[in-house]
Amino acid sequence: MPIVSATIPPVMLHLTNLRKSFGDLVAVDDLSLEIHAGEVFGLLGPNGAGKTTTVNMIVGLLNPDAGSVSVDGGGSPADAAVRGKIGMAPQALALYDELSGEENVRFFGQLQGLSRKKLHERVRWSLDFVGLWDRRGDRAKTYSGGMKRRLNLAIAVVHDPPMLLLDEPTVGVDPQSRNAIFDNITALKDAGRTIIYTTHYMEEAERLCARVGIMDRGRLLALDTVDGLITAYGGNSVLTVERAGKEETVETDDPLAELNRLQDVGKLERFRVDRPDLERVFLNLTGRHLRD
Amino acid sequence: MRRVIALAKKDLRLLFRDKAGFFFTFFLPLIYCMFFGAIFAGGGDDDSTRGAIAVAVVDEDGTASSQQFTKDLSDAPELDVEVMGREEAANQVRRGERVAYIVLPNGFGARLDNPFRGGMPQMETGIDPTRQAEAGMLQGILAKYSYQSIQSMFSDREKMRKFIRESLGELQKDDAGDPVTTGALKLFLPALDMFLAAMPEDQSAFGGFGEIDIKQIDTQRAPERAGRPRSSYDVSFPQGVIWGLLGCAAGFGISFVVERTRGTLVRLRSAPISRGQIIAGKAMACFATTIVLQVVLFTVGTLAFRVRPDSYVHLALAVFCASFAFVGIMMLLSVLGKTEQAAGGIGWAVLLVMAMTGGGMIPLMFMPGWLQTISNISPVKWAILAMEGAIFRGFSLQEMMLPCGILVGVGVLCLAIGIRAFRWVQE
Repeated sequence: MPIVSATIPPVMLHLTNLRKSFGDLVAVDDLSLEIHAGEVFGLLGPNGAGKTTTVNMIVGLLNPDAGSVSVDGGGSPADAAVRGKIGMAPQALALYDELSGEENVRFFGQLQGLSRKKLHERVRWSLDFVGLWDRRGDRAKTYSGGMKRRLNLAIAVVHDPPMLLLDEPTVGVDPQSRNAIFDNITALKDAGRTIIYTTHYMEEAERLCARVGIMDRGRLLALDTVDGLITAYGGNSVLTVERAGKEETVETDDPLAELNRLQDVGKLERFRVDRPDLERVFLNLTGRHLRD
Repeated sequence: MRRVIALAKKDLRLLFRDKAGFFFTFFLPLIYCMFFGAIFAGGGDDDSTRGAIAVAVVDEDGTASSQQFTKDLSDAPELDVEVMGREEAANQVRRGERVAYIVLPNGFGARLDNPFRGGMPQMETGIDPTRQAEAGMLQGILAKYSYQSIQSMFSDREKMRKFIRESLGELQKDDAGDPVTTGALKLFLPALDMFLAAMPEDQSAFGGFGEIDIKQIDTQRAPERAGRPRSSYDVSFPQGVIWGLLGCAAGFGISFVVERTRGTLVRLRSAPISRGQIIAGKAMACFATTIVLQVVLFTVGTLAFRVRPDSYVHLALAVFCASFAFVGIMMLLSVLGKTEQAAGGIGWAVLLVMAMTGGGMIPLMFMPGWLQTISNISPVKWAILAMEGAIFRGFSLQEMMLPCGILVGVGVLCLAIGIRAFRWVQE
């Protein structure tokens, strides 16, 4: 009898040696990864790293030059039924400005095959979910940037897909809408949805994602949990102390022990510990900052 | 199919929400139809629409005969007459408000009543020097009504005998004239009076002076009119429809580019629908709009402007084929530019050339021969020909096959090229 682990969920998305180039530019180079059902996976990298190209291949918009994409146990996104399992919120706001919020969601719901009562229920749920039900009758062109981002998300979830692709979903939004989107993503995660989240904001990846893949120039440089990446590539914490008006900086893997040692030497007036983060991880991996 | 219909309904909703697009699609072509129909009114067979020559009449004679002659001119369909003083008449012609003025001088009525004594009646005309073509027509019209007045006297026996008695009386009083002529008339006129007195009541004075007996031959209307428009609206409505079709093709073609540049195409492609369904949805919306456009315009033409197609079946065929061709052209336009500005600019340039060479701006019949030859490459020409064939050219079904077949061919070719060259991802 085979042994089945109860703690490892099944693979929802499997990318194998994906490669895509545009002329001389290699946008994605030999990318392989597995994402499990119910996982929030962050794809972190600067603009031009290849994140959106990867997303477009996952959803079937682009055919890879090499490699394969497998969704939910073997389906290719070239198959329309497989695409129905994916909800996508593209980086570019893909909305019809002259249609109302409700008309936008209803239209894309119809394309997903929803009809009548089910369509009506899901449209209402989606707009409620992103907090736009009260503005459902207003044309999308009258929405703020943050509201448009939320409408973009509502369209992605209208057909209740098991997997969501959120491509830079917080670009250009106000803090209030950003927090609302974070709450939505947390709720979707709690509901067991698989979420692939691309961003170049490290704090978003740290806050939302269980595992993070770091991409640069089309290649996947590292893949692990946030803590795992920091441990492996973040380097030591930096302890900064101030004594007699002078500042000292010490790099250490045990800030508390180092702080005690320094206090024994003489009285400290002030101290600060800077733990390594994903920004540092990226810097150490590439020699560049994320927002360069 | 439900998804294709949803796609088409979305595009139609967007079209109707865009007020400017809606105006240019539906109202501008209608304005075109009415404007050019009105400008060229009179060019057809309908006499009621033919332009009349605007003239002023100055009656300085003021006799019953001059007033009757003025009334005859006012009733003439060839003239638009207003009676006024000489000075005002001259000023109106000078200002270009009237083509000419006609003066009936003193003695006009007397000469009209007594042509044997005073010679033919005289008139004066003042004509706008820039309207010489109409001046010639006016001379003919005035001669016609002058002779009609004299003719009416000769065809009325009592009027004729009264005129003979008055003429004899004047001859008796006045011996200053040519003695030979006077002598001849003194013999001729009494003899004529006796002749008229002896005639039976039911005969006119002289058969030759009576009104010309024109018997109308009952002829079939259609063959006589075949190939000619009844009115200018028969020509302007197909042309106006063409502008609507061009607008639809441009609008939907550009909307396809907008879908790509604004990212909605990415979302459509990520939905569980095929590329063919996405194109079919757009094509269905464009096709439905062009059909509705043509039905609306031709209904307005029929109800308000007396555009009466020879065959509604043939017109339906022309409408269907034109719509199909322009759906194909729409698809072709959608691949001409990477951005909506480029697609709009290039697309309209192509459409304007099609319209210019195909008779969308100047009716084909007014084009020089070489341009008519070039027009064969423009689908606009075949669309207009198909519509005109159904409206007034009296095309048989067989004759309709040429323009309709070419339109379907254009549609298939353009669709094939457009689908093949369409860029699904914004580069």
